[in-house]
Amino acid sequence: MKRFVKVMLCFAMVSLALSGCGGRSYTHTLRVFNWGEYVDPDVINGFQREFDCKVVYETFDSNESMYTKLLGGNKYDIMVPSEYMIERLIKENLLQKIDWSLITNKSSIDSKVLNQNFDKANEYWVPYFYGNVGIVYDKTQVSENDLNMGWEVLRNPKYKGNIYMYDSERDSFMVALKALGYSMNTTNQNEIEEAYQWLIEQRKTMDPTYAADDTIDAMKSSEKAMAVMYSGDAAAVMLENPDIGFYMPEEGTNVWFDGFVVSKECENLELAMNFINYMISDENALNNTLEVGYLTSNTVAAKEASEGDFQGINAYGIRMDQNDEVFAYQTQDVKEMYSDFWSKVKAQ
Amino acid sequence: MKQYKKLVSPYCFWLFALTIIPMMLIAFYAFTSKGTEITTFQFTLDNFFKFMDPIFLSVLMRSLVLGVLTTAICFLIGYPIAYMIAKCKENTQTILILLITIPTWINLLMRTYAWMSILSNNGIINNLLQSIGLGRVHMMYTDFAVVIGMVYNFLPFMILPIHTSLTNMDKSLTEASMDLGASRIQTFFKVTFRLSLSGVLTGITMVFLPAISAFVIPKMLGGGQYSLIGNFIEQQFITVGNWHFGSAVSLVLAVIVIVLMALIYRVEKRTNVSNEDEEGGNKRYGKRKKIRKGSMH
Repeated sequence: MKRFVKVMLCFAMVSLALSGCGGRSYTHTLRVFNWGEYVDPDVINGFQREFDCKVVYETFDSNESMYTKLLGGNKYDIMVPSEYMIERLIKENLLQKIDWSLITNKSSIDSKVLNQNFDKANEYWVPYFYGNVGIVYDKTQVSENDLNMGWEVLRNPKYKGNIYMYDSERDSFMVALKALGYSMNTTNQNEIEEAYQWLIEQRKTMDPTYAADDTIDAMKSSEKAMAVMYSGDAAAVMLENPDIGFYMPEEGTNVWFDGFVVSKECENLELAMNFINYMISDENALNNTLEVGYLTSNTVAAKEASEGDFQGINAYGIRMDQNDEVFAYQTQDVKEMYSDFWSKVKAQ
Repeated sequence: MKQYKKLVSPYCFWLFALTIIPMMLIAFYAFTSKGTEITTFQFTLDNFFKFMDPIFLSVLMRSLVLGVLTTAICFLIGYPIAYMIAKCKENTQTILILLITIPTWINLLMRTYAWMSILSNNGIINNLLQSIGLGRVHMMYTDFAVVIGMVYNFLPFMILPIHTSLTNMDKSLTEASMDLGASRIQTFFKVTFRLSLSGVLTGITMVFLPAISAFVIPKMLGGGQYSLIGNFIEQQFITVGNWHFGSAVSLVLAVIVIVLMALIYRVEKRTNVSNEDEEGGNKRYGKRKKIRKGSMH
């Protein structure tokens, strides 16, 4: 045993020494914090080669966990949060302004994505992907008639034990509030409580599984009849499983935007702008959107993708009807009210 | 011995920086409210009152029940394995113990992912069941899946200390028991098992403690709707962002763990005293030392 330990130690030392020589030193590093599986890795490699820099790439799985890490003292140059988190970061003065003169690919950005309420003059963000939330369903198990129930189909006892809910506070309350016909940005305590009862009732009668990214693989093999899912993930599922359909209830749904923001910590603003500009160029935006399945805000790439790989896939698109809403910033009190209810839903 | 005392100081520093200070921060957060800024806090007990909600207490209860269940299953599987290994030739023992430890060289996440693909609706077991004409069994996202995952991951920590205490046992004691007319079964329960109790208690501690605070395994095999106290704390920190409430729950869990540790320590002390009566006092020290060494594995 002792000898074995010695051999292992030698091995470890040699490999440490080797790794010391192998690394190349770069003049610049850029720390990027993005959603998991939200980029074509080759695009990142291409940027590193072209700009002779090192991209330290980290991923997160929710806006809230990104925010927690940021507050926890981790330093990043570029983050890719969603609109309500961007709004919060702006309000808490954690972002730097975008230098649009360096974003030469601005002309390709879809005009309906820009000038949103949370940042009317686009001072702080550059759009990346956007989309909706809907229900992914297995056509062999779910009838079109049932889908006419809208979000309420997620409480149809026929599908007991056979549905995935999205494991996030905002998305679950969105489903419940929309099913009840309220705004998903309501601050009315009675309405929120009603939505809470809706979710509790659903947990009791439907035995749903709360999951996030796990549902993507699960639905590719039709594990359950239905799942609440983001449109881009749904497009990726539909590419692989022809039995899957994507449906957005008439009662309205969430319209979301993810975009690049630059933190106050960022020192090399020019490199950061180059990175963002590189990511949204026609060619790279196309590679990214083909890789992840989300609708890109680059019009040229979006057109090419929807006429090519994603032809006939309705999840690769956007709906911005009257009932569809964008998440709004919540004050601390409202946020706490939602959080407390959500903790109770999860603790059942 | 005295000249070695200074060698303890790095450990004290380590303990202070990585255990005492974080614990104090948790306690600080648990008794305060309002934001994460030090400048705006207020002292309060609200976080603890909030946890008194029956829904939240049921989460704690569920964790304790599952922890006990996991520990019991680990013991029922682990003891016979440890016993059988201890009965083998010394060379075989080394190989068998190596086989027990090898899975722990692989990352916990990887091992749990493997279980996901074994247990899922279109996984290995269900495909097998279907190919021989039996229907699918729903296993993922149930208590069953979580307990299997925890038993699988924590079993080595039960086997190793028990094995150590069994091999360090003085064989002449069992021989004497047989000589004096006890049957094999009587010898096992009256001599062997009692002498291995300290190993059993170490095993129980090392399985029960991670089992009640586990959050990765229940999250992966139990799904997002499966809430144990570990998941609950994680959720308060990561998604809800209420560090004060999360800290309060952590503190409650820490107190429960400390109380349980104290109980186990007392039981261990008592069994050692009774062993001493049977074994003769001078044996005890050396044996206990060896067991501790084994449990560090």
